[in-house]
Amino acid sequence: MSAISLTTAAQGTAPRRRRRVSIIPTGVLLIGVVYALLPIVWVLIASTKTNTQLDSYAAFRPGNSLWSNFQGLTSYQGGIFWTWMLNTALYAGGGAILSAIVSALAGYGFAKYRFRGKGFFFTMILVGMLVPAVVLAVPQYLLVAKIGLANTYWSVLIPSIISPYGIYLARIYAGASVPDEIIEAARVDGSSEWRTFLRIGVPMMTPGLVTIFLFQFVAVWNNFLLPWLMLSSENKYPLTVGLFTLLDAGTSQPALYSLVLTGAFISILPLIALFFLLQRFWKVDLGAGSVK
Amino acid sequence: MKFPRPALAAACALAATALVAGCSSSGSPAATASSNQKVTLTFWSWVPNMQKIVDVWNASHPDIQIKFTEAAGGDAELAKLLTAGKAKDMPDLAQIEYQSLPTMVSNNYLADISSYDASLKSDYPAGIWDQVTLGTSALYGVPQDAAPLALFYRKDLFKKYNLAVPTTWAQYATEAAQLHKDDPSIYMGDTATTDAGLFAGLTQQAGAQWWSASGQSWSVGIDSAAAQKVASYWGGLVESHAVDSQTAWTASWDKSFSSGEYASWISAVWAPGDLVSQAANTSGDWAMAELPQWSAGQDVSGAWGGSATSVTSDSAHPQQAAQFIAWLNQSTQGTSLLVSDGSVYPASLTAESSSSLPAQTFMDQSDFYTLAKQYSASTAAATWGPDVDVAYSDFSDDFTSTVTTQAGYLSALSKLQAAVVADMKSTGFTVSGS
Amino acid sequence: MTTAPSLHTHDAAAPLTGARRVRPNGRGQRWNPSPRRMPYSFIAPAVVLFVVVFLVPLGYTVYLSTQKTQVEGLGLGANARKQVAAGFSNYTYVFHDGEFWQSVLRAVVYGCILIPIMLGLATAFALILDAQHVRFQRLGRLAIFLPYAVPTLIGSIIWGMMYLPAFSPINSVLHAVFGIQGINFFGSHIVYLSVANIGVWGGTGFNMMVLYTSLRSLPQETYEAARLDGANERQISLRIKLPMIRPAMIMTGIFSTIATLQVFNEPYAIHEISNGGVSTTWTPLMTIYKDTYTANNVYLGAAESIVIALLMFVLSIVVLRATNRQIFGGEAR
Repeated sequence: MSAISLTTAAQGTAPRRRRRVSIIPTGVLLIGVVYALLPIVWVLIASTKTNTQLDSYAAFRPGNSLWSNFQGLTSYQGGIFWTWMLNTALYAGGGAILSAIVSALAGYGFAKYRFRGKGFFFTMILVGMLVPAVVLAVPQYLLVAKIGLANTYWSVLIPSIISPYGIYLARIYAGASVPDEIIEAARVDGSSEWRTFLRIGVPMMTPGLVTIFLFQFVAVWNNFLLPWLMLSSENKYPLTVGLFTLLDAGTSQPALYSLVLTGAFISILPLIALFFLLQRFWKVDLGAGSVK
Repeated sequence: MKFPRPALAAACALAATALVAGCSSSGSPAATASSNQKVTLTFWSWVPNMQKIVDVWNASHPDIQIKFTEAAGGDAELAKLLTAGKAKDMPDLAQIEYQSLPTMVSNNYLADISSYDASLKSDYPAGIWDQVTLGTSALYGVPQDAAPLALFYRKDLFKKYNLAVPTTWAQYATEAAQLHKDDPSIYMGDTATTDAGLFAGLTQQAGAQWWSASGQSWSVGIDSAAAQKVASYWGGLVESHAVDSQTAWTASWDKSFSSGEYASWISAVWAPGDLVSQAANTSGDWAMAELPQWSAGQDVSGAWGGSATSVTSDSAHPQQAAQFIAWLNQSTQGTSLLVSDGSVYPASLTAESSSSLPAQTFMDQSDFYTLAKQYSASTAAATWGPDVDVAYSDFSDDFTSTVTTQAGYLSALSKLQAAVVADMKSTGFTVSGS
Repeated sequence: MTTAPSLHTHDAAAPLTGARRVRPNGRGQRWNPSPRRMPYSFIAPAVVLFVVVFLVPLGYTVYLSTQKTQVEGLGLGANARKQVAAGFSNYTYVFHDGEFWQSVLRAVVYGCILIPIMLGLATAFALILDAQHVRFQRLGRLAIFLPYAVPTLIGSIIWGMMYLPAFSPINSVLHAVFGIQGINFFGSHIVYLSVANIGVWGGTGFNMMVLYTSLRSLPQETYEAARLDGANERQISLRIKLPMIRPAMIMTGIFSTIATLQVFNEPYAIHEISNGGVSTTWTPLMTIYKDTYTANNVYLGAAESIVIALLMFVLSIVVLRATNRQIFGGEAR
């Protein structure tokens, strides 16, 4: 089921005495790993320090206050940090799932069909990518407030569903991973378009959809400007807005700075967990999958 | 199988739910006008522990309940408030820095509460009260805290290097030069252009008015003689390396305090609260003295910050809101809570003399509050214009790290003047003069 | 992208032209072999959402860009400010605004530094992750992707602190090992590299994942033949895989370019501590932010946004026209 045995190929040509390791690529990869992880390690170490230690200790020297920082964070305003975490999960999880669905549908539609207006609609969606979020945030807020939806969960969730980049990716992946012949075969078999999409298209597009899901999840997880404008009740804030408020309050209440760093570190953890969970989807070899 | 339109159906369901959710959300203020019914007012502030203070009020005022939301500080919050104002979605009450009041008023976002709280005038120094009336007969907020400038210095370092406490700027300059010559690893302090608010306060002390109104037009005095005097003074100090030139409010700037690299700090009376985190290890070493003067014998200070609490124009209950503000910022109970829980230095005269002001633990100065009150009373009045934010933002662009000479400081100042005038004109204001 | 090799096991489907057959089920549905309405249903949710979330606000932005504030007198007091029509005066202002165009130029320079480095690294890492005989691939995949998961605000703060003159661990290492004075990361030219570094750090991982996903969907048999012929991994990566993911690379390049010209988060997050190295109008988006939020001139901000959007639109159309066929080769035509 998994990838065509790469090992057989290797065994066929290389001496069997020991597994060959390509030094240079491995080395480059390791350098990349260090570069990528360094600042994250810094945040982890920073969350073990108190404010005084943050100022006085060397950058990578750990402190001893991880637990008290954690407690301070949890007890701040009666545990609002965890409310923020749940909100973020809602916005990001809900938004990303819906976005993946919408993108999958649209990508499949664009990739697998000819229809009038295809170029027009697609270009229109592309235009959406050209308009930065910063620019749209204010008009979106003004319009949302006009219809009375400001400071609701929907005001953040609905804009999180549409992702022009996700649609673009979905189109690519649909085109690449779902062969026309399969679709035609399914049509011959009498499957409706919708069933073909569900039973054949989606499974073949899965790694691509997982990428789209992850992309949108992270984008919404890290989004600041939109929820900051839309929401004025603390208990609806996502982590970005909550931590920003904490950080800004920190200039007059210095003790909060260490809490912010701890909070920032904790907020990365679910993303790591999610990434681990989704890893296996990237192992699917599409070539093998379609043989059936 | 029918042509299923699951996607379209889902979209319709989503839209429908959105409308329903919208109807049950609390987006718009209550419409009741009767003052006997229970009202709930929303309140944005960044004062620490404000929730605790609000809880005290809520316990004793069941008919006027305050729903508090912690706000980020300063200009981020102002930007959000201005945007909410466009959508008529502002909270009932908001904390606003003095310098931002004209911006809010010129957008018609603040309610006039003179009919409720005008009588509080007698409890505030004239300079501070002017900030909330903008020289008109209206009242746009009640002052909460005062932030007069003072000189904070390291007693131990001054003793070590045989420095007297400078009473004039000339003396400050001489001592700074001497100190750095004696010990090149130490500076008297950082330059005054690392924070626009600080610099503005210092120019106020010298008599400059960044904005003033005459008749129907504004004039901008950022480049006035008094301001130039201050700019050229600090530019000279930087050029001769008598003071440092480092960005403020960063980790390495904090380190300059904790390591004893800076022997003094020109700051406002909230400085001890900041020093606690910037340089905890220097507890007990600092003392406060009057800001150096331009002429011996003068007694003028400037202000660096300070804020008022205001009622927004979106509030349906200005009377109740004004009641809360009066309690918060002027009543004995309110101000002592602000002082003890919020670490606020109060602007109200009675509060300044109150015995409930917490003892200064970081600084070993028994007459701290007497002096602070003195400085607050002697603060030169400031008029702010409608685009302070732009001025402050451009300030940091113009006074960059590459500007290190006296000439450079002066030219940065005139650049700032030009930028502010241009901005006001482009927004539609009439600006007289240059 | 690529034409998939023949994998189906039964013969090519009966010709789809015109024949209508009744599907043998109880409901007697018609089977339309050339479904006309279906694609519209598929793209409908996206289009509807797009109109609501993008087009309507965008239209509103265009409208706002034709307005301005009229101030009476000092502008204080109840009716002193009004919104009035302004025609194209905002646009005229933008075209004459030297500071605005300088920020555009800076964004272009920034892009020219960032894009090649970031995409080069993303491609290299993607190929390395897909190659054989490389250890630590799972770790590498997670680790290099991780910075993308860190909010830009936090990432920029961290790097900003590493750039601070007296505080920088980088400089202390350089000083200790090489005896160098220390780099001024906020100096007028180096600042481009400093900001670009934050962008590279944060963005490489995602682009790497996109390219890696493309690589994973390539059929493995092609490599078999090459390996049997004696090609080593490097040759396979460079001569076979690389050309096959070219469409994905181009697409990633285009989107990265668009995102880069919109750069805001990184320079904004560090501009306050940069001691002037990064000004408040360093990039076009920062200028728009400043005019919209700080100066509260939503109308000018709207005009600037439209100008930027148009610039990018033109750029994208040009590039897309040139590369369309290569990207969408695997689709129904």
